[in-house]
Amino acid sequence: MRTTETNSISDRGVEMSAGQASPATAAGGATASTTATSVAPRDVGDTKRRGTRLWVMAWRNLWRNRRRTLLTLSSIVFGVFLAIIATAMQDQNWADMIDLAARLGGGHVSVQHPEYVDHPTITRTVSADERMLSVLEGDPEVKAVMPRVLGQVMLATAGESAGAGVIAYDPALESTETLSALEAIADGEPLEDSPDGGILLGARIVSKLGLDLGDRVIYTLTDTHGEIVSGLARLKGIVETGSAAADSGLALLPIDALREVVDLGPTEVTQLAVFLQDQRRTDPAAERIAGELDQEGSEAAALAWYASRPELAGFIAMKVGGARFMEILIAILVAAGIFNTLFVSVMERMREFGILSAIGWSPGKLFGLVMLESFWMALLGLIGAAVVTAGPYFYLANTGIDVAAIIGSQMDIAGVGMPSVLKVGIFFENLVIIVVFAVLATLLSGIYPAWRAGRVEPVETLKIV
Amino acid sequence: MSQPIVQLDGVTKVYRQGSIDVHALRGVDLEIAKGEFTAICGPSGSGKTTTLNLIGALDSPTSGTVRLENEDLGALSRKELSEIRRDRIGFVFQAYNLVPVLTAYENAEMVLWVQGAPPEDRQRKVMELLEDVGLSGLEDRKPSELSGGQQQRVAIARAIASDPAVVLADEPTANVDSETADTLLDLMERLNKNRGVTFVFSTHDPKVMDRARRIVRMVDGSISDDTVKDAVT
Repeated sequence: MRTTETNSISDRGVEMSAGQASPATAAGGATASTTATSVAPRDVGDTKRRGTRLWVMAWRNLWRNRRRTLLTLSSIVFGVFLAIIATAMQDQNWADMIDLAARLGGGHVSVQHPEYVDHPTITRTVSADERMLSVLEGDPEVKAVMPRVLGQVMLATAGESAGAGVIAYDPALESTETLSALEAIADGEPLEDSPDGGILLGARIVSKLGLDLGDRVIYTLTDTHGEIVSGLARLKGIVETGSAAADSGLALLPIDALREVVDLGPTEVTQLAVFLQDQRRTDPAAERIAGELDQEGSEAAALAWYASRPELAGFIAMKVGGARFMEILIAILVAAGIFNTLFVSVMERMREFGILSAIGWSPGKLFGLVMLESFWMALLGLIGAAVVTAGPYFYLANTGIDVAAIIGSQMDIAGVGMPSVLKVGIFFENLVIIVVFAVLATLLSGIYPAWRAGRVEPVETLKIV
Repeated sequence: MSQPIVQLDGVTKVYRQGSIDVHALRGVDLEIAKGEFTAICGPSGSGKTTTLNLIGALDSPTSGTVRLENEDLGALSRKELSEIRRDRIGFVFQAYNLVPVLTAYENAEMVLWVQGAPPEDRQRKVMELLEDVGLSGLEDRKPSELSGGQQQRVAIARAIASDPAVVLADEPTANVDSETADTLLDLMERLNKNRGVTFVFSTHDPKVMDRARRIVRMVDGSISDDTVKDAVT
């Protein structure tokens, strides 16, 4: 009886295995046979099959709940977009401010008498001789070196007087690239390279003194011998920077004219303003220059820009710190979203992981599967972020937003006027940090869910055999 | 009886539920030889599921020994047990046992893939198996595109792909209609007969019990009856 039955089964099996019966017949009229009968079998022939691959499985798993995955991806995309735009704004803005501060003051690195920073008098000078200049200009980071004499002067006309800080520079060497006040000449002309090259004054001083272009003004200061000395100059131009501090307290003179008045030698300066290719390398450049000066036996000190502008440095450090904090908060929020998605996704599939574990998947392979899902999420998130960020970034980088037009006036922070057009320009290393951070946050978010998947106990997740 | 491939000696299993000890198995002795087509039956809570969990290296006994091909499963690490399940045991679960994102081919191939078999060997073996279980032409279907019976066929193909020592099937007919159940049993019987695959079922289904050549009845964690209906040929 049994033998007969077995043969009959075997015959049916042969019929089925021939693959010529309809799928419904092959299925034996199963519960879901409607679907099965509606799709004709395909001839796969000897097609070479790729077979199962973990990363393909992870990719497909990602799309099992399309809406949830898309929502998570959008949070990654938005997070990275925000991080890139915010960082790019800061990078550009702070770099502009630092460069502006450098052009407004003593360059990115100031080479000066070691006591000048505490006792800024005209007697504390350094020599801008050939040896000194060759040391400075020989540094690969150095773009330009400008000799200057700084001091305090009293300006006077027949009826008015006002105090001002004076920057005496070499009109033959300097341009707007090194002295920002020169690009703010609202009226008149730059100084000329002659003893009587004129004087440039801030707009508010001009207004206070009641001067017109060409009018004469007397500047009085202490010379190198401690004597009160005066010089005479004609108002050559009016500087209007937008910064109240500069406009009400800045005077510019030709360096040779001032040297003559205060009796300084032809190479003596109170400051050598050193401009770098990239302000971010100020610290190593300052250290290198200080070392080289020391080797040369010079007593001159090399100070980074922030030593002479601690208030600006403090402001930038505070803002950068705040921005980093906000970026970390955004990253945590994004990571929490990714974690939630992966965790829920794993918990929903515990039975499936149990089956996989039962049929021999190792904990490492299960862990790897979920981590690959995290990786896909990170990769897709970054691609999405690149697509979404590119347009706004290039618009902001090339055109920018005119802040002055929006707020109606120019902002002045720590004596430095903020650029009126807000542009973006991210430093490459910051972009790398954001990308790495986004990938790490996504992968880290996947570690616990992946660990849970790897630790699945099949006997607990399956109602098995 | 030929050399047993599964041996349970004095196996007990005690689960702790709150403050109560539940004695799932009370000294079970059982041997299963190669080529058997055995059904373990009994009411809920009788211990048949626990017995198969232990044979399947999914659980460990409280006392006693479980041997598979003469290897004491109790002496193996978690990793080694995983390898035992991969290489020597085939599983067919009640339902929903395929990976939904993989095709029939990929599901059937899975164990061979995890074993690290070369792609060409995998393809040859899986295509042959799918043809054998009557699924030629449906290799690229996802489980959602297959009927319940077809899904179980894929599961059977997956279970036997690595030529395991024993295939453990948990109520394989529980979620399919009567006609499909017959077809699945036909298939497993044929695989047992033609390929010598050893099947051990846990079941309530009279159809399965009717087809089984050996019936092990369990009550309250003990074997109450063990009947061989038909010798393995």
